[in-house]
Amino acid sequence: MQQRYNSLVLYFVLFSLLLLGSAYLLFDAKIGFSYNGILHYYQGDKTLFTSAKSFSGILKIILPHIFAFGLFLMVLLHFGVFTAFRKHPLFRYFIYTLGIAAFVELFSPFFIILGLGFFAYFKLLAFFVLEVGTLIFIWLLFRSVLTH
Amino acid sequence: MRFTLIKDLQKERPMVMSINILLLFTLLYLVSDIFVKTENFGITLTALHTTLFGNADEFIDPITRAVFLEHLHGEIFFMMMILLTLSAVFVRVSKKNSFSLLVLNLNLISALFSLITLAVGYFYLSSFLPLYLATFFSWHILSFFMSFYALWRLNAAKI
Repeated sequence: MQQRYNSLVLYFVLFSLLLLGSAYLLFDAKIGFSYNGILHYYQGDKTLFTSAKSFSGILKIILPHIFAFGLFLMVLLHFGVFTAFRKHPLFRYFIYTLGIAAFVELFSPFFIILGLGFFAYFKLLAFFVLEVGTLIFIWLLFRSVLTH
Repeated sequence: MRFTLIKDLQKERPMVMSINILLLFTLLYLVSDIFVKTENFGITLTALHTTLFGNADEFIDPITRAVFLEHLHGEIFFMMMILLTLSAVFVRVSKKNSFSLLVLNLNLISALFSLITLAVGYFYLSSFLPLYLATFFSWHILSFFMSFYALWRLNAAKI
C-alpha cells in the first residue's frame, strides 16, 4: 500500500507541474510579466481600450483562487511531513514563505486599483516566489518518492 | 476528540457513509463533466475543432489563447483534486493485486495525457486532438469503474 500511495504522490507532483506551467502561461497571456503590463491590466489602458478592474471584479476572480490556493498548498505541503525534509530547520520558514506569497499574490491587485502602483512589483515577486518555491518543493517530493 | 487509524473500514458505518457520499458526488461530477463538455467544448472531433479553431463558414470565432489557458488551468486543478481523492479511496479499499494497480495507473496516465494532448493539440498539432478525446473518455470510464468498485467494496463485498 505504501508503494501505491507513493505513486499517487508522484502523479500529484506531475499534475502540479502542469498547474504551474499553465499558471505561468496564463499570467503571461492575460497580464504579462512587466510592471506596466500589470498596471495596465488592473488600472486599464486608454490606448488599448481596456477598462480598469473594479473591486468586485477582482474579488470575483480571486474568490475561487482563495480556496484553491489554500487547498493546493495544504495538500502539497503536508506531503513534506512524510519526507526527511520535515526535520530541516528551514521547512517551517518555507511553508510560511509560500503561504505569505500566495496571500500577497491574491490581494495585491486591490492596492493596485487604489492607485498604489508599486504593488505591481509585489504581485510579480509573489508570483515568482510561489512558482519557484512550489517547484523546489515538487523536486524535494519527487526525489523523496524515488528514493523510497 | 481523539483521532485514530481505522483498520477495518467496512465496520465503521459513519465512515463508510461519508465515503459513499464522496463517491456518489464524484460519479455525479463525472456525468456532469461530460454534459458540460458536450455543450461548451465539444466531445466529438468536429465540435472540438470548431471550438478551438473556429469555423469561417459558420462565422464562429476561434477560442482565444487566454480563454483556452483559463479552461486548461481550471481543468488541471479539478482533475488533480478529484483523481487524488478518488485514487486514495480506491487504494484503501481495493484488493492489492496487479489489476487494481493497472486500473489506477491507466486512469492517472490517461488523465495526464488528456491535458497534455489538449494543450499540444491547440498550440502545435491539431492531429493530437483525437488522442485527447480518447484519453478524455478513458479517464472518465476508468474513474467510473473505480468509483463503482469502491462503492461495491465498501458496501456489498464480503472480505
